[in-house]
Amino acid sequence: MAIGVKVMKRPRTETSYLRATLQGMALTFSHIFRPKVTMQYPEEKSSKDWTISSRWRGTHRMLTDEQGRAKCVACGLCPQICPANCIKLVPGEDEQGHRYPLIYEIDEFRCIFCGYCQEVCPEEAIHVGVHYENSEFSRDRFVYDLERLCAQTHPVSTLWDPSDSKGE
Amino acid sequence: MADGLITLTIDGVPVHVPSGTLVIEAAKQAGVLVPHYCYHPGLPVAGVCRMCLVEVEKQPKLAIACATPVAEGMVVRTQSAPAKRARTSVLEFLLINHPLDCPICDQAGECELQDFTFQEGRPGTRYSPDYPKRFNPVEDFGPDILYVPNRCILCTRCVRFMEDVAQEPVLNVSERGDRAFIGIHPQGRLDHPWAGNVVDLCPVGSLLSKDFLHKARAWELDRTASICTGCSQGCNVTLDTRDDVVVRVRPRQNLEVNRYFICDHGRANYRWMNRGDRVEAPLVKQAGSEGYRAVDWDEALDRVRIIVGGASGKAVAFASPRAATEALFLARHLLGGFDWTGAFQLVMGDEEPLAGVPNLALRAERAPNVHGAELLGYTRDMSAALQAAEQSAVVFVLDDPQVSVRTAGAVIYLGTVMPEADGATPDVILPITNVAEEEGTFVNRDGRVQRYFQAKPAPGMARPAWWVLGELLEGTGNGARGMPLACAADVFDLMAESMEAFGGLSYAKLGLVGRTLGQGAGVPA
Repeated sequence: MAIGVKVMKRPRTETSYLRATLQGMALTFSHIFRPKVTMQYPEEKSSKDWTISSRWRGTHRMLTDEQGRAKCVACGLCPQICPANCIKLVPGEDEQGHRYPLIYEIDEFRCIFCGYCQEVCPEEAIHVGVHYENSEFSRDRFVYDLERLCAQTHPVSTLWDPSDSKGE
Repeated sequence: MADGLITLTIDGVPVHVPSGTLVIEAAKQAGVLVPHYCYHPGLPVAGVCRMCLVEVEKQPKLAIACATPVAEGMVVRTQSAPAKRARTSVLEFLLINHPLDCPICDQAGECELQDFTFQEGRPGTRYSPDYPKRFNPVEDFGPDILYVPNRCILCTRCVRFMEDVAQEPVLNVSERGDRAFIGIHPQGRLDHPWAGNVVDLCPVGSLLSKDFLHKARAWELDRTASICTGCSQGCNVTLDTRDDVVVRVRPRQNLEVNRYFICDHGRANYRWMNRGDRVEAPLVKQAGSEGYRAVDWDEALDRVRIIVGGASGKAVAFASPRAATEALFLARHLLGGFDWTGAFQLVMGDEEPLAGVPNLALRAERAPNVHGAELLGYTRDMSAALQAAEQSAVVFVLDDPQVSVRTAGAVIYLGTVMPEADGATPDVILPITNVAEEEGTFVNRDGRVQRYFQAKPAPGMARPAWWVLGELLEGTGNGARGMPLACAADVFDLMAESMEAFGGLSYAKLGLVGRTLGQGAGVPA
């Protein structure tokens, strides 16, 4: 059951790949002389053309006061506002009679990084951070306790400012 | 209109109230809550906060609604521009020295200053942030009360409560003008047995309960109507739970019983509701050994049915007067075929009256259902019941009374925790719920039947005592009716049918404030 195959007759100059290959190589090599746009992550994390936005909402950071204590007063607004229900807070009282969090834990897996916790905080204590490198070797490390939140050093998010909606 | 009623108009709504009613109370009938701080229906009128200013037509100046009695044809405007402007100004004055510490204040979320400022306060302050606010350190007023003078708005509710209701005047307003604060007698302490009410009365977070301090925020609490189990007065309370843990007991208004107050004994009497060492599964005694085996309900109930069905002669029920009327009723109903004795164990204490309210006291009988138990034929005579138990075939122990039973018969123990007292080891232990985990009724010392509601889930397999006894009743055929007892209301209906004293009552009729039993004594049907 032979199949009739129609064979086209074309000149060799049209069927050769040589010309197309050379054209492609010319384009490729021409890029050597053009400006570089690739960033060498992770060696390079920002360039003069691109930096991460100051409004980036990444993993959290708890700010501390002059004595190094967390600014949090355990008012309970962030667990209340949190749409993902990822903040665990147990309030207590320290030796000076100040209200402070006995337990403050954020489950970064559950967190949806909306930034409401930062927005609602009356003490400007909890912040979402300008930070995106969060990998760990075990799942339980993703529940950040108070000590770990205070030890974070990355910059904090400026969030979106309604009076400056384009961030200029 | 009916005789003795005065008609007036509040915000365009005509209301009919008895002569002598205050405008603020009449406004509530019109559906208007006039903002107020010093006024409280349970206290004498002081008129010091000036917050409830309203406009009364044909009066030259604004009037305070809390001290103005109604008059025929009066036209009151609570939302007119001058009235609102005046109240906004009063709030501005109150907030001059009020700290902005709502995040750490226990009252936040249930604070009247927050509410009314949100409702009609100024959006911003006109005072410079450099202007220092008045500062006074926190004072320790009593065993359970802290005073934070900075937050105080000097409504004097606490002063009037101690003076006129508790009638132990240890508080006053010290100093004058903007230096004024609530002072305590130099040798005095706020340790009156009813002093805890000042914490509830305080409209702001100035008087705080040490017990509740920093424990929970107001918006995290779930509130459940309940009855205090502290004594036979039967005060109406609200159980505040957070994550299924009872964290606070507050008074619930019932003008017939406790008005707006509860005593400190009742206020602190909630920790046992959160006990962690509960029996969580039905346990039956292993044949030939001392130990128990955890079984499912069907097996445990079958075991009890065999024991009860095969026995005859004497039976004794030991109960605690903390058990619901429904459970007490079903226990005696279940033992109807026996020569029955019922007894309950009663803890006695000192009677602590609240001087300013008639017929309100922390009663000597420290259990909520003494009257109900007696109505159902249980007696306080434990010794006679213990004697009867020695020759009885079946002994029921209901709701953890501390008795050491000596008996030749079988012991069936319905309790929340493992039996602590020595004596005969129970053949079957059935886990039941406590007052915070079930629905039921108590009968207080004046014969008032009052309902309480479920505030949190029961641990493990624990079930309400009425359910356990109702299931047993089905099997033994002791007066079981055609329908299964599906809820506590069914048990109450069965009780209303068979007990003359409860006749005509139902859960729907009891409602949230309860009903007093008819004058007829508790004659068993």
